[in-house]
Amino acid sequence: MADPLLPIWAGLDVVPSGLLVWAADRKLAYVNDTFRRICDLPVSVGLSFDEFTFALARSHEVIFADEADEWAMGEIANFGVEKQSDYLFAAGAVVQVTQAPTREGGMAVTFTDVTAVKRNELALREAKEAAEATDEAKSRFLRAANHDLRQPLASLKILIYNCIREEDAHHRADMLHAMGVAASIMEDLLGALLQIGQLDAGRIQPRITSFQISQLFERLDIQFRHQAEEKGLKLRFVTPRGTVATDRALLERILSNFVANAIRFTEVGGVLVGCRREGKGLRIEVVDTGRGIRENERERVFEEFYRVAEERRGQKSGLGLGLNIVKRLADLLEHPVGLKSSFGRGSTFSISVPFGNIWHSDVGETDISEAIAGEFANTPVLLVEDDDILRGTMTQLLRRWGIEVHAAADEAEAIRLAETGVSPQLIVADYNLKTRTGVDVIRALRAVFGVDTPAMIVTADAEPRVLESIREAGLPVLIKPVSPPRLRVLMHNLLFEPSLVKAPGR
Amino acid sequence: MSTSSKPVPIGSMIPLTGPSAADGAEFRKGMILAVEELNARGGLLGRPIEPIFADTCRQTAEEVVGAARWLIEKHQVHAIVNGYNIGPQNSEYEPIADAGIIYVHANTLLQHHDTVMSDPERYFGCFMADPADYWYGPGFIKFISWLRDSGQWRPNSDRLAIISGSKPYSIVIANAMAATAADFGWRVCFGPKIVQTPTNQWRDILEEVRETNPAVVANTHFYAADLAHFQRQFMEKPMDCIVYLQYGAMHRSFTDIAQEASVGVIVSSVIGLLRDEMGKRFEARYNARFGEGSTATIGCQSYSNMHHYAVAAAMAGGSGAPGDFEQNRKVAFALKGMIYRSVHGTIRYHPDWQAVVPYPVVTHDPSLGMPHIFYQIQDHKKPLSMIAPEPYNTERFIYPPWMSGRTASPKATSMNPRGLTGL
Repeated sequence: MADPLLPIWAGLDVVPSGLLVWAADRKLAYVNDTFRRICDLPVSVGLSFDEFTFALARSHEVIFADEADEWAMGEIANFGVEKQSDYLFAAGAVVQVTQAPTREGGMAVTFTDVTAVKRNELALREAKEAAEATDEAKSRFLRAANHDLRQPLASLKILIYNCIREEDAHHRADMLHAMGVAASIMEDLLGALLQIGQLDAGRIQPRITSFQISQLFERLDIQFRHQAEEKGLKLRFVTPRGTVATDRALLERILSNFVANAIRFTEVGGVLVGCRREGKGLRIEVVDTGRGIRENERERVFEEFYRVAEERRGQKSGLGLGLNIVKRLADLLEHPVGLKSSFGRGSTFSISVPFGNIWHSDVGETDISEAIAGEFANTPVLLVEDDDILRGTMTQLLRRWGIEVHAAADEAEAIRLAETGVSPQLIVADYNLKTRTGVDVIRALRAVFGVDTPAMIVTADAEPRVLESIREAGLPVLIKPVSPPRLRVLMHNLLFEPSLVKAPGR
Repeated sequence: MSTSSKPVPIGSMIPLTGPSAADGAEFRKGMILAVEELNARGGLLGRPIEPIFADTCRQTAEEVVGAARWLIEKHQVHAIVNGYNIGPQNSEYEPIADAGIIYVHANTLLQHHDTVMSDPERYFGCFMADPADYWYGPGFIKFISWLRDSGQWRPNSDRLAIISGSKPYSIVIANAMAATAADFGWRVCFGPKIVQTPTNQWRDILEEVRETNPAVVANTHFYAADLAHFQRQFMEKPMDCIVYLQYGAMHRSFTDIAQEASVGVIVSSVIGLLRDEMGKRFEARYNARFGEGSTATIGCQSYSNMHHYAVAAAMAGGSGAPGDFEQNRKVAFALKGMIYRSVHGTIRYHPDWQAVVPYPVVTHDPSLGMPHIFYQIQDHKKPLSMIAPEPYNTERFIYPPWMSGRTASPKATSMNPRGLTGL
């Protein structure tokens, strides 16, 4: 007859925990299959608890904080004591071991795999810590944003003020360009600051690329030139040749902090930015003739919110974050930062960056198009076309090729453009303009310019008599709808190889 | 004949006559070799491939457009696979786009990007299997900066003189050089000055250049004979500078005319046969088929383009005749998706430009771009020395003989740093 307990044994073999039952004489009375799956030890009924404990301790299956034998002695002493602990197994699982005394003086022990539970707990704790760090980072971010955005903002204010009064179109265009740069620097800055916030939360990975250090110097020059000029300081960049390998945006943050400080703390003289070759890298130095830093303050200037004594009394003081940001970024990039100073005479801040591979150096715009690099890029062309739609599509096509298009609807408008300083290298004129022909308009324009500016006619009127009259005027002609490749060839020839333009009338 | 064994007509527009006939002859050979190899392996899904050649003569817009029409209308070609044609300025794209067939060429023109991106639907089948001319500019600037920064050459100054020919290709390259120079510490002291080409009279402009005392002179005109005269006239009164001459100086006819004067000249190509095992084996097959006087480095262009096209068409389940837009879109999709390592480097089409990108200027990964190779003529009787970029170079830069009296860098040796055989 079958053992009536068999179904119970079978059930206990598939419970998710390993189960060991020890009798009062400390001999093993029962072990289920789950235990054998969790722990690869030769365990059989009748084994003594002491033997089992030492075998487990010496098996290297479990990682103990203390000496394994000491642990075993402790366990043996605690036979029958109600307790629970977690153990890390060599294979990586976390097993919770719970023991409880039986009423007969023995003990039951369960082994439960809690790896997933522990992992979740850890993830939860990490998430909580990250959330707290983010919260802290947010407030840091607000402080830092206030500090760092002041520099380009100050430039922008000066530029706007000067621009309002500037009458010279060329200077105005220069200033507008500089404003655009300042605005984009602010944009980059916000991005970088956001990253710094994340830096505190340990979430930032530098993106190391190779680039020309000169490109960075040019941006710094534009960013700070006006501020230095306002203070009557000389700001000079000695641009080196060299490829460096680092995170471009983070290095720019570091250097712009150096330069901003140098300008702020210098009243007379100037600021020099240059490089020295140093082993397998470049040491970038920002040298000023400012007030310098006392020896006892040289370490502390890199601390958060630290301001030197003189600055604390000042009106327009910073928040004391700039150099702390520098230090944290430099630590992240593993670039050594240096400071040499002579109180009352000036300071030199430096950062050392490794050389990069010149072949991998960014060449700026990789998304090139004809507008940037085509043969017609920046060529001024005067387009005379009375049909609004055609004028629009033609302008669009020519602009795509990088041409600087000056479009006019009729002769009067074209002449006005010519008289206000537009001097095209080429004229493209429609033949059938409302009151005049394109040939007349080209003639009138050439009279204004005083030179035989290269020109062509486009016409929808393919009548031989019309074409004949255009050719007689010595002008090449294209029939509408104009094929872009043909227009391109004719424009190229007129501009660069006039000898290839077919002689008129043939 | 059943459809399944009917030949697949593939057109090829090639200058078989006219000034570029020498290159045209090699493009033709490259096509023939590729088709023979493909047909020996069963053709395109069992159908033999039949190449049809159309002469583009002087490669004007009229001639190239005429050739495209003739191939499409008379021969119903499923694709047109070329080397290059200068001059048509993309006007041949129109009949090809109307027919909805595949077009693969190596025209090296930036305007390909513009045309394709202006209407990607219409020009879905147009592919440029080499990088645009523009990339010669930044590539060249990086090259001279690399020579300088790695200590292989000590320039006497940061001055760069740029002379351009009057073709769009030359102008684009010259402008690109000028645009990149400052970022790498160079100052353009002369030009880019556009000279009316063809010409073999360079003495006046050389005199103007000499007054600016440059450390580098670059001439982006590309006719071999014109450049040979430039170099001879330069050597009448050499300057202490590096001389770079565009593509044409790679040709045999350049050294034939310039002779000893050519030694030291730097030249580059964004498409050229590599000297690795694959390249060597191809060259041996090419010469065995067409004779020792053949130029595998030119023929490899049409050869690789044809192979790549055939694999893509097979992946797509077959080629498409004119009008079969649906099938040809599948072929275009396969061409775009498949990175193909040819005997002259990787053909990988940029998803928007449908053109190959150069290594190392655009991609830093040699498995994703076609190498922009820099050569130096070190012995005018021997093949050009391939001096950059890694990992393809086989020789090192040497000081040009006219720059004597200066510390020479370590002499080029026959040592083979990459362990390649048969070099």
